[in-house]
Amino acid sequence: MTLLQVSGISAGYAGEDVVRGISFEVARGEAVTIIGSNGAGKSTLFRAIVGLLKSTSGVVNFDGRNVTNLATYKISRLGLAYVPAERHLFPQMTVMENLVLGAFPGKPDPARTDLVFDLFPRLAERRRQDAGTLSGGEQQMLAVGRALMSEPTVLMLDEPTTGLAPRLAREAYGALAKLRDGGLTLVVAEQQVPLALELASRGYVLENGRVELSGTSADLAGNPDVQRAYLGVA
Amino acid sequence: MKAVAAFLDGIVLGLQYGLLGVGLTLIYGLAGVVNLAHGQVAIFGAIVVSLLMGAGWAAVPAAAAGILAAGILLLFLDLTLMRAVYRERGEHRILLGLLLMLGVGFVIDGFLVWRYPIESLSLRIGGDPVPILGVKMSTGSLLASGIAITTGLLLVVFFQRTTLGRGVRSVIQDEQGARLVGINPSSVRTFVFLLSGLLAGLVAGTRSMTSPQVSSLGIQLTTLALIVAVVGGLGSVSGAFLAGVLLGIVDRFASAYIGQFYTAVILLLCAAAMIVIRPSGLLGKSTR
Repeated sequence: MTLLQVSGISAGYAGEDVVRGISFEVARGEAVTIIGSNGAGKSTLFRAIVGLLKSTSGVVNFDGRNVTNLATYKISRLGLAYVPAERHLFPQMTVMENLVLGAFPGKPDPARTDLVFDLFPRLAERRRQDAGTLSGGEQQMLAVGRALMSEPTVLMLDEPTTGLAPRLAREAYGALAKLRDGGLTLVVAEQQVPLALELASRGYVLENGRVELSGTSADLAGNPDVQRAYLGVA
Repeated sequence: MKAVAAFLDGIVLGLQYGLLGVGLTLIYGLAGVVNLAHGQVAIFGAIVVSLLMGAGWAAVPAAAAGILAAGILLLFLDLTLMRAVYRERGEHRILLGLLLMLGVGFVIDGFLVWRYPIESLSLRIGGDPVPILGVKMSTGSLLASGIAITTGLLLVVFFQRTTLGRGVRSVIQDEQGARLVGINPSSVRTFVFLLSGLLAGLVAGTRSMTSPQVSSLGIQLTTLALIVAVVGGLGSVSGAFLAGVLLGIVDRFASAYIGQFYTAVILLLCAAAMIVIRPSGLLGKSTR
């Protein structure tokens, strides 16, 4: 069953579309990756889906509802969580306060907090530390943890490994794989293509704001163009 | 003895400065609007109280109505005039908000001075002066200080411990992050305008316990609020109170030893020095 369906979305800045007529869909429980280089339109696409940016045409359906250009806070409360590459944490609040706010407007569920701390033990150690003083990797964990606190049905992540050392990037994907195995629906935009293809069952390749290619992860990994552009295979 | 008296008077005055500055600092931290009508809104509340008491209302319900009137006035401004400001970003937003609020301040001030030129509010608190460290403190100044301290503590608890309070801080720190966790920044702003207006009405009431609040006093109160907010750090609740008390003490010492005429200049110098030494203010932009 399709949980998130994006049909012909166009969006951009200052009257110029960066994303042009993109369509993709994600079924419940599926992990899907959006692959593309810098400037391909991945972030613009995500921002348009969650209402941070007005789309100029197209339709977004989520969980049987038309959520096109709905206010971001409403989309978040419907269960579509988004972790941007810049994370947008609350820097002068503690790790715990950031997590508590993740459950807004509700009170945080203790079982949920435990789940986040099990997934990221580092956060439990630093629960009283201000978010702004965390390392890049820890901030990424907190951004994902904060998004999980609202018990979302879909988690969308924009380049979750930006600025992370290779070992930390693998750890981050380990955590995402656990969430996928737990039944959470994932949409991950990535330039680190090997990790993303390992996590996802299907993928879409974005170029210049359009879907150039789509298929199962195995198909994409075997595609000579993808290999040349993203997998470092000559 | 003179120094002890100046010190205690300074704390009493400074708590009022803190209460005055906190309303301005919250709106700036949250909406990027320098509310140059803050003092005028306070005096609007004071004149409402004065008129109601003149019409035979008892002091407490009249004060409550005045506080509410000031709150509703700012709430109304958020829902109407400020919508144009929120559509702008960055420098444009700050400038437009500043200019519109300056205009609103002139309108309120002009209206009050025109319609009620001799109206003023003095809430007289009965009882004998209480000696503290050998200085006789009036019951009015003690009650005003008690209300300011209680309000300050309630605000800190509200921002630290409640869901809505944390929501307000989250919007101050990262508005986009707040949207992503399901907070509507627009309703948070409306709430903070209401809160700031209520605080303005309250401070007009407590200040009138020690000195009459005349209808033309608004602009002076706005200037004080601005100085307190700058020294305390724009957006910081406890910073506003800390700055208020420090400036209150400076004010009373300057007045006792240098002369009343120079105190305003000295307070402005404190704000200017703060901008040079530590632009983020005593406690920065963190609402702690």
